[in-house]
Amino acid sequence: MTEFIQATAFGLLIGGVYALFASGLTLIFGVMKVINIAHGALLILAAFLAFTLWDQFGLDPLASIVITAPAMFVLGWALYVTAIGPLRSAPLSSTVLLTFGLALVFEAVMGLIWGNNSRAARPSYFDQSFDLSGIILPKAQVYAAIVAVLVLALLWLFLNRTWTGRAIRAASANMQGAALVGVNIARVSALTFAVGLATVGAAGSMVSVLYPFLPGSHYIWIARVLSIIVLGGLGSLQGAVLGAMLLGLAEVYTQTYISTEWATAVPYVLIFVVLFFRPQGLMGTRLREDVAV
Amino acid sequence: MSTVERIGLDRRLWRWVIALAAVLLIAYPLLSDDLFYQNMIILSLVLAVGAVGLNIIMGYAGYISLGQSAFIGLGAYTVGIATTRIGGDPFVWVPVAGLVAAAFAALLGVIAMRTRGFAFVIITIAALFILQIVAINWDSLTQGTSGITLPLPRWDISIQNWPFYYTLVALLGASLLLSWWIRRTKIGTGLLAIREDEDKAATIGIDTPVYKIIGFMASAVFLGMAGGVYGYYIAFIDPTAMFDIVISVQIILAVILGGRGTLWGPVLGAATIEPLNELANQQFGGGNSRLLIFGGLLTLTILLLPKGIIPSVRDLLERRTKRGRAALVGGRLGERRALNGRPATATGGTGRDLLEVKGLHKHFEGVRALDGCSFAVEEGTITGLIGPNGSGKTTAFNLIGGTMRADAGEVSFDGRRIDRLSPWRRAYAGLGRTFQITRVFTDMTVLENVVAPLRSFSWRQLRAGAVSGEEASRAEELLAFAGMAEYRDERAEALSFGQRKLVELAQVLMLDPKLILLDEPAGGINPTLIARIAEMIRELNAQGKTFLIVEHNMPLVLGLCEPVLVLASGECICTGTPDEIQRDPQVLDAYLGADFQLEEPVAAP
Amino acid sequence: MRGSKGHPGRSRLWFAALALAATALIAAGCGGDDDDSGDSSEPMTVGLSLPLTGEFSQPGKAAKQGYEVWAETVNEEGGLLGRQVELEIKDDGSDQNTVVADYNALIQKDDVDLLLGTFSSLLNLPASAAAERNRMLYVEPAGGAPEIFERDFQYGPFFTQQATADHQGDLFAEWVLALPANERPKTVAYAVLDDPFTVPVVDALRATFDEAGIENVYDETYPVSTSNFDSIANSIKSENPDMVINGSQFEDGIGFRRSLTKVGFEPKIFFQTNAPSFGEQYSDGVGVENTEGTFFAISHTPDADTPGNAEFVDKFEQKFGEPPAEDAADAYAAGQVLQAAVEGVGSIDDQLALADWLRENSVETILGPLEWEDTGAPIGEFLIGQWQNGTAEIVLPEDAATSDEIIAVRPQAE
Repeated sequence: MTEFIQATAFGLLIGGVYALFASGLTLIFGVMKVINIAHGALLILAAFLAFTLWDQFGLDPLASIVITAPAMFVLGWALYVTAIGPLRSAPLSSTVLLTFGLALVFEAVMGLIWGNNSRAARPSYFDQSFDLSGIILPKAQVYAAIVAVLVLALLWLFLNRTWTGRAIRAASANMQGAALVGVNIARVSALTFAVGLATVGAAGSMVSVLYPFLPGSHYIWIARVLSIIVLGGLGSLQGAVLGAMLLGLAEVYTQTYISTEWATAVPYVLIFVVLFFRPQGLMGTRLREDVAV
Repeated sequence: MSTVERIGLDRRLWRWVIALAAVLLIAYPLLSDDLFYQNMIILSLVLAVGAVGLNIIMGYAGYISLGQSAFIGLGAYTVGIATTRIGGDPFVWVPVAGLVAAAFAALLGVIAMRTRGFAFVIITIAALFILQIVAINWDSLTQGTSGITLPLPRWDISIQNWPFYYTLVALLGASLLLSWWIRRTKIGTGLLAIREDEDKAATIGIDTPVYKIIGFMASAVFLGMAGGVYGYYIAFIDPTAMFDIVISVQIILAVILGGRGTLWGPVLGAATIEPLNELANQQFGGGNSRLLIFGGLLTLTILLLPKGIIPSVRDLLERRTKRGRAALVGGRLGERRALNGRPATATGGTGRDLLEVKGLHKHFEGVRALDGCSFAVEEGTITGLIGPNGSGKTTAFNLIGGTMRADAGEVSFDGRRIDRLSPWRRAYAGLGRTFQITRVFTDMTVLENVVAPLRSFSWRQLRAGAVSGEEASRAEELLAFAGMAEYRDERAEALSFGQRKLVELAQVLMLDPKLILLDEPAGGINPTLIARIAEMIRELNAQGKTFLIVEHNMPLVLGLCEPVLVLASGECICTGTPDEIQRDPQVLDAYLGADFQLEEPVAAP
Repeated sequence: MRGSKGHPGRSRLWFAALALAATALIAAGCGGDDDDSGDSSEPMTVGLSLPLTGEFSQPGKAAKQGYEVWAETVNEEGGLLGRQVELEIKDDGSDQNTVVADYNALIQKDDVDLLLGTFSSLLNLPASAAAERNRMLYVEPAGGAPEIFERDFQYGPFFTQQATADHQGDLFAEWVLALPANERPKTVAYAVLDDPFTVPVVDALRATFDEAGIENVYDETYPVSTSNFDSIANSIKSENPDMVINGSQFEDGIGFRRSLTKVGFEPKIFFQTNAPSFGEQYSDGVGVENTEGTFFAISHTPDADTPGNAEFVDKFEQKFGEPPAEDAADAYAAGQVLQAAVEGVGSIDDQLALADWLRENSVETILGPLEWEDTGAPIGEFLIGQWQNGTAEIVLPEDAATSDEIIAVRPQAE
């Protein structure tokens, strides 16, 4: 039983980070109908940034969010203006390929700048754990989960309690309608993309201390993010969080009870199962049927 | 110079270029024994086979697969496992490799059948990685990460790589042949239709899941064989190299760069990419520069040259030749030919109900579009369906045609319940419909548009030629009937709204339907065309076709249709002759208005 | 119609086609090799590919350093057969397709005189096949998976370490079984990276321990992409084994070790492949206090008392400012072996003669004497090291040991 509780604890803690990571992507899809395959590479980029800040200046990776998130925000805006924006009206296939290309470019650039060795930030608490009557909770994971929840809460507040957030949600629900009521679609799209990337910045800071990473690590994150959005349904923030938790748990349970070998297959198997049985995911918005007319 | 003649000239030139390239390709190993360039060409050939195959599912059908390298891996492992466990020459197992790849594509196609667009891409990525993981973990079969080592070839060293080289050349030739053949048959037009407008394609008899599976299998079979040859060539087969997503990216890049949907674009793309690959490896130290080059190329191509090289060049040339000339499509309506074939029977109903709709309910998030709607259409009639906006007319069409499912109620056609059938099965049963806003396949020619529909699912129909042969002649007849024969080779994109209506009608007629649903045939076109369409409807009706027409143009309805059904607030409130309808108080109240006066019915000539 | 003179677009196309055809023919004509007459004033080119980027970039770069030091040393002593050695190095990016293309290019396009191998069994497997097809001797410093030697090749491959993967843990296993009953482990857990090198090492250990009756309480193979070892460590902790064997490369070894600390489990005996042999990088990665008592297998240390080793280490430190990593030393040894074969036969024209020479002779290297079976698999004893007081010492075999004691039970485990 202890093993089960322990495994569940691990799964939930990881799920928190996954949730933060996936929130940006689902937000971006909601408004722009763009699946940003480069999300994984951008996560690793943020991790490298956090690592460098820690390595050169001793800045705690979790605290470095105040730098990485804004930095990624700016990068997001720049990316939108140069690459993503022009493709807003292009078919989905084009944006998938475009963002895949960007992911490779980022991987290459990271390799050229930082080299292909694996890195991990190792602040003082990196190998310590809280012991909760026999259940081990690694400190780094706990801190990361707390920060993830905080950032997600901030995101929720932003989306639901501010005018800009409302504009984003309006554009997500019905872009033409939102335009008609005066929402500046281009600006909202850019903002959404930038905010999405800011959350990736935060998630990246966490990843830098949780796992060793190198430029090529983004593939496994692409797999995770695709699995999460398929599970949770595109465009739904609650769905993304739920999907992320489920993925985290599924991975840990597979590793503990089935076999570590098949643990990496979990995101893909989930993709197949969900797309086969319930293509709209757990909480995804159903497209209106009369769109087919 | 007409478009046809100009295309002919360019084609001849193009053929010379290709013939020359082919001769060089075949002669190269005989002229030079440089293994380095041979190696480069071999890798380009594998990439080219992959690209030509991908073009079938991506270029024609519009479904992007990021998992094509899975077929390379499957092929390589088939040859590797069979050779090391069963024995025999690896080349003997190459065709089996193709079958394994095609089988897997079929399986994946069945699973992915319910998905569209992005979900399909995701499934292909997932399939690729799952295969890699299976290859790693199922080590009793695949030897896991240790990989399978194949014996070195035993032939004379002076032959060098010729068997690999020429087998791959043959595979490229075969895949090009397949791609060309698909494109010029109804399979090709069907795939293109799916790319343009999948839902519309379903209504003209295209069994979209089956077509997609066929396309996907076609993309896999030769690539699987090429993978088998490649595995033998490298002599070492392991999971990471054989299920490599970067190769998938290169294959996609080859198609996009060269020009998707064209026959030779993928080959051109592959021939450009592999040398770039080698350049990255040799000059810039591989690794990251390779990623930078391909990632950057992919990004830039999508942003700046999305059509690819060959189509862009073609557009450029077309623009040059067409400069200053008036478009054919701006001219007056052409002459119309009467429909030959069946003798005209008496107009009027036979008494039997061809279509019966009972208690249809359909709501959209609280709005009740149809609320217990029931009516029947008598065989042999031209029945009108009128009613105010929002009364549910188009929704009724959608439910009858199959593009939507009803929440409750029944639809019976020709004596059978059809409300559970897919749109194409309803087409096979004899139901055709047009759309309020015309839906034609803009990227295809007018003739191809009319050839695309499938009357019934048969192999014979599928492999019928799209531009020549029986089906094509039939399509030409129908185009002549609609007065659009001159436009047969024009791209549908160029047509005006009214011309598209005519083409859409010809499309529907290709199905040889018993009942034709027309959704506002007179909307947005000039009176001459309206009259012509009315003429066509009468002629077709005289030959036994039943019509159900939604219209707001009262003169047309009252002059052409009998009986007339009136829909209001989601139900059918009245049926009767045009006279009765005009006088019915309920109808006047709901739709026509108390002061309605008919100016002049559009009578038969 | 505008007239058959044709408009600019068409004639341009013709010209392009002809130009393309001409270029292709010329390229084909120039593709042939130049004849290499082995002129003694020409440099002796040695071609090799290494993973300088990608997954194996760390050891790849170390190997490059080792090769470079060897080339310099040879050239200072007059070169190989009187010719100055020139290294022609390519980067295969840790990718198998690239490594095959690289060796093909080196052999065909660059027309090198000799070859040296790349790093990792994964890459050496296809590379050695390319060498065999082209009938060139293949000497490699870092591919110890047994399958490499099971293909009946004639031109190699010769592995320039003391033993193949399946024998590298032999001395450690012997030591465990020789422990007195109260110190001998009763239970063991295995966590292995799915890699052609690590798997045979652990397989051999497992077979030995199974036969000796040490109970196998946890046995998992994890894929390369695993980055989170917490649940694995946790599962191991719940079994509480006396001994833990981790077949790792580098990243995963560090991650695994850290996870053990995180969950608070310290086995009495801990054996790890590869990672602990990386010196400071390892102790920095896991924390120096966590290294105590960790066993590992290694082929070389800077302190080893083998011929030429002290000079090698000096030269290396002068050139690169730090002591050589194991992979650098292995690469240097590969160079030595190649040199010995060439000098032993006296010419490079008959590559098969070079291979046969190695089959019949042993070579003195900085790793000690090396000799091979006909398959190219080495016959020798691998060194076993243990971290003690923050230093990586050699403990077995005794005549190579740099430390007298062997910690039988790790202090943290008490």
